Formats: sequence, structure tokens, C-alpha cells
Amino acid sequence: MKRIVFLVIALVVATAIATLARPAPASAGWCWPNCSGYGYLGPSTSTNNGCWYSSGEVCSYYGYWFNTGIAKTCYPGCNWNYQTTSMVLYGFENRERIRGRLTVKADTVYLRPSEVSMSGSLRAQVAWYAGPASQLNTAAIG
Amino acid sequence: MTSSRKLIIAGAVVASVATATVIATQSGASRDETRLSNTGLQHVEIRRVVIRSVPIRRGSLLAVRANRALYRLDRRNAPPCFGAGPASDVGNVGAITCPRGGFPRAGQPVLDFSVYESTRHDVRDLSLFRIEGFAADGVAAVEFLRPNGSVAVRVPVAGNVYATTAVPEGPVAGFAAVDEAGKRIERSP
Repeated sequence: MKRIVFLVIALVVATAIATLARPAPASAGWCWPNCSGYGYLGPSTSTNNGCWYSSGEVCSYYGYWFNTGIAKTCYPGCNWNYQTTSMVLYGFENRERIRGRLTVKADTVYLRPSEVSMSGSLRAQVAWYAGPASQLNTAAIG
Repeated sequence: MTSSRKLIIAGAVVASVATATVIATQSGASRDETRLSNTGLQHVEIRRVVIRSVPIRRGSLLAVRANRALYRLDRRNAPPCFGAGPASDVGNVGAITCPRGGFPRAGQPVLDFSVYESTRHDVRDLSLFRIEGFAADGVAAVEFLRPNGSVAVRVPVAGNVYATTAVPEGPVAGFAAVDEAGKRIERSP
């Protein structure tokens, strides 16, 4: 009987240690449309969460972001320089302004808030700017 | 499949390959001589940059201009990335692009890192907040254009880099690369 009690106690202790030792998530994050796939960002796309533009934009919740990035595909087509015909603005926004860089390229790009001279609580954003819809994934880490 | 049909298919394949080869060589795709001659002021240690799970630890500082440091970030077995960051903290790269197919390329002599902004919700007019980027040999200046096509500001290129904080107010809709003679080499979409 004592052996069983010891075994149960040992198991409980081991589980507790394993649980406490598990590293906490390194950072908060946001992805669109999810963290493993691509979505279409066109003039009518919206995350409906109060972005700078009511349509044609996807944005995160307000957070203290370290970095944002987009991975844009060749949809609906690329020239031989991997340029599409759809332009997006990616970057950050707050209640006063939206800032970022423009791209038409099927590329992966990264941007920190300090690069656009913004800080504090911000939304990471990608906004359709011209052309057809872009197929992309965007994410931000904080 | 009859032997004559096999011959027809083989002939079609050979013809397609030959046509593709001719198009590639005639179009300049296979002899792209666009380049950056600036190899960098110094090699610097890059901090906290990971591209596709691969850290980039070394880079070449191409220029320090307008309080900004502009870098080429070399990778093993991949075309280089390009980045920019504050001049006051060399090695801290805040914006990175790893151009697919490499940079520069014929038809893409400018890699623009400029920052745009808007304070209006109702229109998508963007104005310049800061101008910076990289340009291939032969690009003498980058002109930023108004929506009507007029030149809003002309920024000279030196050492394959352009940068300024002296930006004009008002909407901007693209840029053009110009050579020494003022001829437009390329215009952004």
C-alpha cells in the first residue's frame, strides 16, 4: 500500500515539475488568416476589428509589437522579377496615422515599429493599395 | 503508341525547348548585367535577424546617410538580403527584404525602402515619411512622383544608396529611376 502511495506522490511531483519547467510562450503573436496559410487581401477584405480602413485592410489587435512581416505569393501572377500587379502597404498604425512600406513583390519582408518611427501600443497592418487581391500571410510578434 | 507518334511528340518537345532557350537569351534574362558595385564600407555584426529559421550574423554596411544605415546581408546559398536601421546603432537592422531572384535585376534597378504614411481614413492617398533605398549601377537618382506624374522630389543616388528625410508634403504615387542624362530607366508600378 505504502509503495502505491509513494508512486502516486512521485507521479504528482514529477507532473508538477514538468508543468512548471515547461517554457512559457516566448511572445504574443498575431497571424492572418492563420499561422500556416494564405488569405486573399483585396479591396473588400476586412478583419472587422476597427482597422484604419474599414475595408481593404487586415490588422491585429493593439499590442507592443516587436516585428511584423508578410509573405506574399505570385497570385494572380508574377513577371520574371517576381512582381505582381497588386500593391500592399504593410506596417503599423495607431489612432493618428497608418505607416508602412509598399510592395508588389512576391517576397517575405519584415519591419519593426521603430523603422516607421512608431512605438507604444500599435496595430500591425496590411492594407490593399492597388490592383487585384494579393495572396499573403502576415504575422506579428510582440 | 506508334513510332511516328513518338517522333512527333519528341519533335514538339525539342521545338519547345529551343523556343524557350531563344526567348531567354534574346530577352536578357540569361545575361543580366545589372549590379551593385558598392561592396560596403565595412563588415558588421548583425543582431537578432533570423530569416526562414536561419540567423544572419554578418552584413556589409553599404552607407550611412540621413541618420540611417543601409546594409547588404549575405546568406549562404541564397541571394543576399537588404536591410536598413538607425545609424546610431549599427548592426540593428529593423527592416529586411530578401528579394526573390536577387537584387538588382534587369527591370528592377531600385529596391525602395521608403516609408509612407496617411492620416486620412477616407482616401488611400499616401505621402512620404522617409525616403531610402538601394539602386543599381547606372541609376543616378530616384524621382518620386505625384499622382498626376509630376516629380515631387528627386533624390540623388551615391554608392548605390539613396536616402533623405527632406520629404515633400502631399500625395505620392510611385517612383522612377533615372540615369545621368535624366532618362527614366524604370518606373514603379
